Amino acid sequence: MIPSIVPRLIAKPEFGPFVLFIGMLAVFYSINPAFLSPLNISNTLTFMVEIGLIALAMTLLMTSGEFDLSVGAVFGFAPVLMWTLFNSGVTSLEVGFVIALLTAALIGATSGWFVTRLKIPSFLVTLGMLLVVRGTALYVTSGFPQRTWSPDGRLLADILVGDFYIGPFRLYMSLFWFIAAVLILHYVLTQSRVGNWIQAAGGNPQAAIARGVNVARTKMGLFILSAVMAAFAGIISSIRTLAANPNSGTGYELEVIAMVVIGGTALTGGRGTIIGTVLGILILRVMRNGIILIGVPGLAYNIFIGAIILGMMALHSGLERRHQGGS
Amino acid sequence: MAQPLVEMRDIKKAYGKVRALEGADLTVYENEIVGLLGDNGAGKSTLIKVLSGAVPATSGDIYIRGEKVSIKSTADAIAHGIETIYQDSALVTQLSIARNLFLGREPVKGARFFDRMDQEAMNAVARDLMARVGITKDIPPTTPISSLSGGERQAVAIARAMHFESDLIILDEPTNNLGVAETQGVLRFVRNARDSGHSCIFIAHNIHHVFQVVDRIVVMRLGKIVADDIDPKTTSVEAVERVITGLEEDTPPGIPVAADA
Repeated sequence: MIPSIVPRLIAKPEFGPFVLFIGMLAVFYSINPAFLSPLNISNTLTFMVEIGLIALAMTLLMTSGEFDLSVGAVFGFAPVLMWTLFNSGVTSLEVGFVIALLTAALIGATSGWFVTRLKIPSFLVTLGMLLVVRGTALYVTSGFPQRTWSPDGRLLADILVGDFYIGPFRLYMSLFWFIAAVLILHYVLTQSRVGNWIQAAGGNPQAAIARGVNVARTKMGLFILSAVMAAFAGIISSIRTLAANPNSGTGYELEVIAMVVIGGTALTGGRGTIIGTVLGILILRVMRNGIILIGVPGLAYNIFIGAIILGMMALHSGLERRHQGGS
Repeated sequence: MAQPLVEMRDIKKAYGKVRALEGADLTVYENEIVGLLGDNGAGKSTLIKVLSGAVPATSGDIYIRGEKVSIKSTADAIAHGIETIYQDSALVTQLSIARNLFLGREPVKGARFFDRMDQEAMNAVARDLMARVGITKDIPPTTPISSLSGGERQAVAIARAMHFESDLIILDEPTNNLGVAETQGVLRFVRNARDSGHSCIFIAHNIHHVFQVVDRIVVMRLGKIVADDIDPKTTSVEAVERVITGLEEDTPPGIPVAADA
């Protein structure tokens, strides 16, 4: 059986990113063993799961053939809104949290409406939405970070991002939210009917519509999911760092899209993998952390990321061609 | 012959000033394969698009088993049991055979909330259908469409139409770009579909392919049906070609001509 399993494993889109990840671990560890120290692992995991939540939702959206450039702006805007409501005494923190998520859902629904009803490419719609949302966050705060506060002891803060120790590892509750999102979205994409519709919407929308699949509703739901996850991630990050900066999340949209495509999800839609995205998240975050630990100047980070993206794209396109060739 | 399955009456379609259909009548009976022939611009594609819900007719009526129906979209046509198979366009190449077969109508297993596809059942049905449609090679139902040959893709589309009990399967140029063996395969799939009780409309540029598979030939010219009861067993290819091109003013013997032609 082994000979038939090996080529099948190699042909999987997740195989390349997996090998790259293992290779990176080996190289970084051999140069600097502190790379795998509990402290470094804890630090890397902390932020990884926050940006990772956005990448997981983006995987489904990109599988359906669309993407969302406004996630970084929503990541910055949602905590600003929540804390502004709370600091001004308008609502409790919990109600502010719900309002921030609902507002994000509205932002996602608006993007979805422009894309599915007005048939405007999601690149343009969400670029516009990025500017509107980021502009609103800057305007509301006059460009300044919100005053700091200490939400310690509050139930919401504990549920979202309370920290605890497992052995020498300091972990945050957000890790469990991330794992839950991985399990649920992997299930949705591979096991559920909705997952079949998402892939069909990205692969051949006309065929999907002809079979009675509501492609517009499916995409609308994914735009909402993407915005809500970005808001959720932004709020978790703001509680952990005790800061709500209207500029936070700038540039995240491109990093998130890079994570998704490195993992093997097709930029053109139709094919997506949550496992691959988890690997893509790990690769980019571990790379950022590792090259600093081995003494490469931090400013060189983008060179490595660019090279990884190009290399992975070449690998995925090679696999795709083999696939199309029927081998 | 059995009773009419589908009747299109006096179908007209204009694109601005261009009149693509000028009152076409087409009848398809139960359990028969009709070959629809005509030169480029004769109106056969437009007529098929009207029947499959891809474009609306300017005027005219469609009856299914004697009952007037309104077909405004592809989904309407499918709901009325009319399935159109275009070269490649009806399948999602990234999805597996089984997932394509059941797209939009996936069976669910377990609690409805979890929306879980019954993939074992889908694969079992897919395997059975591929055999019924005439695929002899052992292709696992989890194979993505992108790995299949052109002929095998047509087989999947035909199998889907058979499984969901489409009464009428329209095949628009199903043998285009296919090799000799693949073409023979597709013709076999079409015959198998007819033998399992489905009617078909078969459109192909290659008149020899049409002759091999159909029970009756209908010819269109300039937006009208000009002959609708040509028997491929008793008529020569050359005689039909003369009707298609309109070079033969006098209808050759053996070719009944539609009343309004």
